[in-house]
Amino acid sequence: MTTGNDVFEMQTGSGWQRGLNNLLSAEFGRWFKTKMWWIQILVWTGLINVFLLFMAVADTGMPGPELLMIFNIFLGLFGAVGVCIIMQGTVVGEKSSGTAAWVLSKPASRPAFLLAKLLANSVGIAVTIILVQGLIAYLIITLSTEISMRPLAYLGGLGVHFANYFFYITLTLMLGTLFSHRAPVIGIPLVFLFMQQMILGIVPKLVFVFPWTLTVPINEEQFPSIAVALMTGTDPYTYIPLAATFCASVVFTAVALWAFNRQEF
Amino acid sequence: MAWVIKTNGLSKTYKDVQALRSLDLEVPTNSIFGFLGPNGAGKTTAIKLMLGLIRPSSGSGSVFGKDIRCDSVAIRSRIGYLPQDPRFYEHMTARQILDFTARFYFKGPQDEIDKRVAETLELVGLSEKADRAISGFSGGERQRLGIGQAQVNYPDLLILDEPAASLDPLGRRDVLEVMERLRKHTTVFYCTHILDDVQRVSDTVAILDKGVLVAQGPIEELLNSGEGVVYKVMIKGDGRDSMKRISSLSWVNGVNSSQRNGMSNWAVSVNDQDTAEQELLRQLLLDESVVVTDFRRNEYELEDFFFNIVEGTGNDNRK
Repeated sequence: MTTGNDVFEMQTGSGWQRGLNNLLSAEFGRWFKTKMWWIQILVWTGLINVFLLFMAVADTGMPGPELLMIFNIFLGLFGAVGVCIIMQGTVVGEKSSGTAAWVLSKPASRPAFLLAKLLANSVGIAVTIILVQGLIAYLIITLSTEISMRPLAYLGGLGVHFANYFFYITLTLMLGTLFSHRAPVIGIPLVFLFMQQMILGIVPKLVFVFPWTLTVPINEEQFPSIAVALMTGTDPYTYIPLAATFCASVVFTAVALWAFNRQEF
Repeated sequence: MAWVIKTNGLSKTYKDVQALRSLDLEVPTNSIFGFLGPNGAGKTTAIKLMLGLIRPSSGSGSVFGKDIRCDSVAIRSRIGYLPQDPRFYEHMTARQILDFTARFYFKGPQDEIDKRVAETLELVGLSEKADRAISGFSGGERQRLGIGQAQVNYPDLLILDEPAASLDPLGRRDVLEVMERLRKHTTVFYCTHILDDVQRVSDTVAILDKGVLVAQGPIEELLNSGEGVVYKVMIKGDGRDSMKRISSLSWVNGVNSSQRNGMSNWAVSVNDQDTAEQELLRQLLLDESVVVTDFRRNEYELEDFFFNIVEGTGNDNRK
């Protein structure tokens, strides 16, 4: 045992959890003990809810279902772009700056390093983009229109947004472990995000695999947004895209853990 | 003798470049071990292999008797490491960096961790800047913080990669003092280009050149290993012909030359001290185109040993 450390309760174990608590604390600190959380809230309020408020109070006064659909499209598309931007540097940035090598020279496991980033960023994104913006939008829509939404059902709809974001969080995380430069890490998810609609026009059956209709409708009649359906208390056309997105996220995470374990620093 | 680090044929290849070739290293417990070599010799590669940051291409190694491939986390829990170019999270303060580092080793209690952090800040002279974000730190301050975070856990093995880089002379002196203070409890393994420092504090050294270990052992043993006496000569003028002639003498091991202020400084290593005493100066004065401004016998120093051995090896690091 190290001399002079008798007064301490030592960390023990050498499994995958080694260092996880400390890394989680540091990653949460990066989100919630710096300016980051309120800057994110300001940015997303400006991008989504200021615009929503403008449409709600404009002379024409948009009806509730339309406002709700627009909110979901904005949150689904802009938010996913934001997730890719936020996540692009989490692994690649640390690899290139040398901080990953520094942290991994301490008794911390590689899975712990990656899982801390995954968990803290997922929570940070869920709170600042989904929950806060969802709450503001809920107030705007319910106070300015006749529409009524049960809070729990609305929360379920926001949960679908989280599944959509989690897909992009894990995808960028995985790409960060596979590449050494930021360009493919942000480029691939963004190209995929915006190519989905075109691909679905060619192969409509992929609607059950792609995360697109979780938040954005393809054809309002045929494939309405699953998030909107849940928020308004109606049955979604299917839950398969939700399950497929979840499975893809698990695969992305597994590949990220495998690739990061083989990485050299 | 007990070894903290022991490697056997440890090698690392990147594409077609062999960064490290069959390294057999033995680092004794509680030694201050100087790991020397020119840039690109493979020193940092060897350290990264010991820390599990990269995987060996072949060979094996152990630290504290634990395998570097399988027991990396257990090994790192007893090590403190200062990288060559320390990088930290820029949004954190020096105190937060040390607290973050300490928590990889200690669960608590918090007040003891706080005490250790404060003591470390004091040790590396950063108490007054403890609560400033490190994004505003100078290179020297980052280096001090790097040294602090490397020893905050009182490691059994302290690995320092160029610890005196970016430090002013006072900072350099402080680092050497810290190393000497830690010797009682810790093995210090450090890479440096500052050979004076190595000779001052180290007891054992290893020299790596182009991925190959070319010398290893206690400093005194290496210096007395038959390389002989060195004469320091300072000359003015074009001494190339003289250098060629003197180098070819049977009792001369080699001549190393460096330039300073228009003067040439030669280190002439000889294997026959008596002959050198009688003949060397005479030989130098034979050439009328040079003026000898200084001539003295020098104790054989690590620097001379290092230059002789590194310049004498013609390793090629291509496979």
